[in-house]
Amino acid sequence: MAFLDNSGDIILDAVLTDTGRLRLAQGDGSFKISKFALGDDEINYGIYNKDHLSGSAYYDLEVLQTPVLEAFTNNTSNLKSKLVTISRTNVLFMPILKLNNNSAPGGNKYQRHPSLFFARYSDSGVVGGEDAQAADMFDAKFYIAADKDTWLAINYYRRTTDSATQFRSFVNSKPTVGLIQGFTADATGDSALGGSQIRIDQGLDTNQIAASIGMDSDLIETAFIVEMDYRLGRVKPTTNDSVAAVNFIDDDNIASYYLTKKGPGGYINPTPNGIPSATNTLDAGQLLLNPQVFDGPRSNTLQFRIQASQELQQSTYLFTQLGSSEDALLDGSIVGFGDGGDAFLTGKKTYYLDSTVRVVGANTGYRLDIPVRYIKIK
Amino acid sequence: MARAFKSLLGDDIKNTRTLLHEAIPITGTISSGTYTENNIKTFTHGMFQSTYDYPYLSSSANHIFDVTYGHSSAVSSSEQPGMVQNAKKTNIYNQMAQVLMGYNTSGSVRRFDSDGTLSDLETDKGLMDHCFFLNFTRLLSKDEVKKNSFRLGLYTSGSCESRGAGLVAGAHKGSPEALLTFGDYDAGNEYRTSPAGDYGLIFSASGDSTDNSRSVGLVFYQAGIAVLTSSVFINSAIGFNRTALRPDGSPAGAAVGPESSGWGEFGQPGAGGDTGTDLRDNPAAAGNHKYYNMMRAKVTGTIETLANGFRNRLHNIEFNNTIELNSTIYFCRINHNEFNYSSNPTFVSGSKLVVKNTVNDLPVTYITTVGLYSPDNELMAVAKLSEPIRKDPNTELTLRVRLDY
Repeated sequence: MAFLDNSGDIILDAVLTDTGRLRLAQGDGSFKISKFALGDDEINYGIYNKDHLSGSAYYDLEVLQTPVLEAFTNNTSNLKSKLVTISRTNVLFMPILKLNNNSAPGGNKYQRHPSLFFARYSDSGVVGGEDAQAADMFDAKFYIAADKDTWLAINYYRRTTDSATQFRSFVNSKPTVGLIQGFTADATGDSALGGSQIRIDQGLDTNQIAASIGMDSDLIETAFIVEMDYRLGRVKPTTNDSVAAVNFIDDDNIASYYLTKKGPGGYINPTPNGIPSATNTLDAGQLLLNPQVFDGPRSNTLQFRIQASQELQQSTYLFTQLGSSEDALLDGSIVGFGDGGDAFLTGKKTYYLDSTVRVVGANTGYRLDIPVRYIKIK
Repeated sequence: MARAFKSLLGDDIKNTRTLLHEAIPITGTISSGTYTENNIKTFTHGMFQSTYDYPYLSSSANHIFDVTYGHSSAVSSSEQPGMVQNAKKTNIYNQMAQVLMGYNTSGSVRRFDSDGTLSDLETDKGLMDHCFFLNFTRLLSKDEVKKNSFRLGLYTSGSCESRGAGLVAGAHKGSPEALLTFGDYDAGNEYRTSPAGDYGLIFSASGDSTDNSRSVGLVFYQAGIAVLTSSVFINSAIGFNRTALRPDGSPAGAAVGPESSGWGEFGQPGAGGDTGTDLRDNPAAAGNHKYYNMMRAKVTGTIETLANGFRNRLHNIEFNNTIELNSTIYFCRINHNEFNYSSNPTFVSGSKLVVKNTVNDLPVTYITTVGLYSPDNELMAVAKLSEPIRKDPNTELTLRVRLDY
């Protein structure tokens, strides 16, 4: 899209989005405009110079010269950052959304409900030493196992001398992390395997205000919108495999979920320790119950998992159309490592497909894009 | 409670209707030389010719208008011996007439009537039995042609010596400088209605547009079609007083045929081959209508050759189209205490607002985009400001967003 001509009067370039046109064409009354929001996607507030020597009239000189792009017709490409109404003017700190993720080297991965990026260790676990955090395979995204075979292949290994049903566990202190169980658990208790989840926290990312002071009530996020490609996956809670009801699927197959359910079985603060006031305590197994990412006051947390779509669970078609593949046994590949091979992977390929999941605070409009990788070994 | 959306109330949404006009200029060379004949599409059925604004084999070419020719079934083949494509010409005429003029009380197709009287009498000299049809595409005419804006420049006589070179005035006997401009003069005050919508009468610029008997054609505004009598190509009839013409277009009292002096020649250029002293009178060169007069061309010419002749006599076409815009205007009213904060990641640094030093400083934001949302929070339309607008607690704004349908 080109820039709008800003040499003369201020003009307003308005277009229907593709979703708007779709609903208009459907003729079922779903095209109805009832509210508006304002955006400032192009603005970089970092160039707002509040220390300008010439005074306040010059603070925003560069901001006001920002050229503005023409409107995109893709509904998900606009208004990535919205203006927010807070009736008072004395707000100095505003909450943000942050992925509760501590799996980077040096971080703590010992969590009861881990929300960690993918990391996998070799069977010996010797790389970096037994207690080191360095993984053989680390990737700054969440992995979603499309089926049980994939789940087993990544969580366990089988030496070439092992029987077909003999799976060896990795060293206990080195479990694979960042792998979401993207399939429905069967009666044999797959769900007991746990796996990763995605946890988004809202809070003040500052140490200038103590966490104990708490968040102002008018800044607390009580609902979240999750947007993701409906061809690839669905949103499901952390405690069961019942996928959430989708709010709307747009013309580009982007599904929107409006998540408000709180407490057990829900998405907002689903675990007893996952509430803002809970302290970062350890359980009997010395696992963190409520890891925090904000030094300042904290608000609600959003926790969910992703269920791979039936297309991804049953077929490699979308993987080949939209993603990539590699030899599963290849040393240095996503699941392969050169330690005698893994009989389970012999003759198989690893299919993977990268995407993002967007989380938007329904009240504040703050948004966060989370990288995910759907993976299938077949 | 922080919020990013504001509801639109009943008073914030208004519907309106506006008419937008575009000036459409078509130069004659686009149909007679700019792209040689590569932008002229002919068809094996030979019923019409299409003109494009670029060689039509290119994907960027736009279809702009068609030319065809037809005569009414009242012109029998016995009246015009040797009539070529008699059936096709009749079919074209009847098709256009039934769509544009409709049917008379007896259920017959009503013939085109240049004076707009809709008389069924054979004695009505306004009846046009030999007509050229100019069908403009919707790309050009849009919802309709604006009344009293249609202008058509034609070389009604003179020699078409070569493509692109236009006419050589006086190069042929009896051929004066003969660029005539036709238009729907006075249609702003007077127009008629038909089954195909409104239509106006076409006059020569030099003619008296208040005298309907001098009309030489019709322009159908909503249909985007101009109908022109073939009689415009008769030299002596400049001025187009129909009392001097027969219903078939020939001058009253004149001998019918190519030998009649004072009849402008007509045909497609470039075929060459005629060397007679009176080139117009040479009927021998089969398929060569270079210098045939209109009376002969309409008998011995195919629709395609007649369309060729018309295109090469075209000097220019101008009209204004009309686009009917139905709009909904959304008044996005922004009060002083609204939208003063942003979820833009650069708005905060360590969760602290970068536009404030202290709690008492006023927040400030910059608006670049207005999003219009459905009740379920889906983005239906988006509007962009050409430059950022500052918003702080000291300002109130009303942004007027217009959506056209």
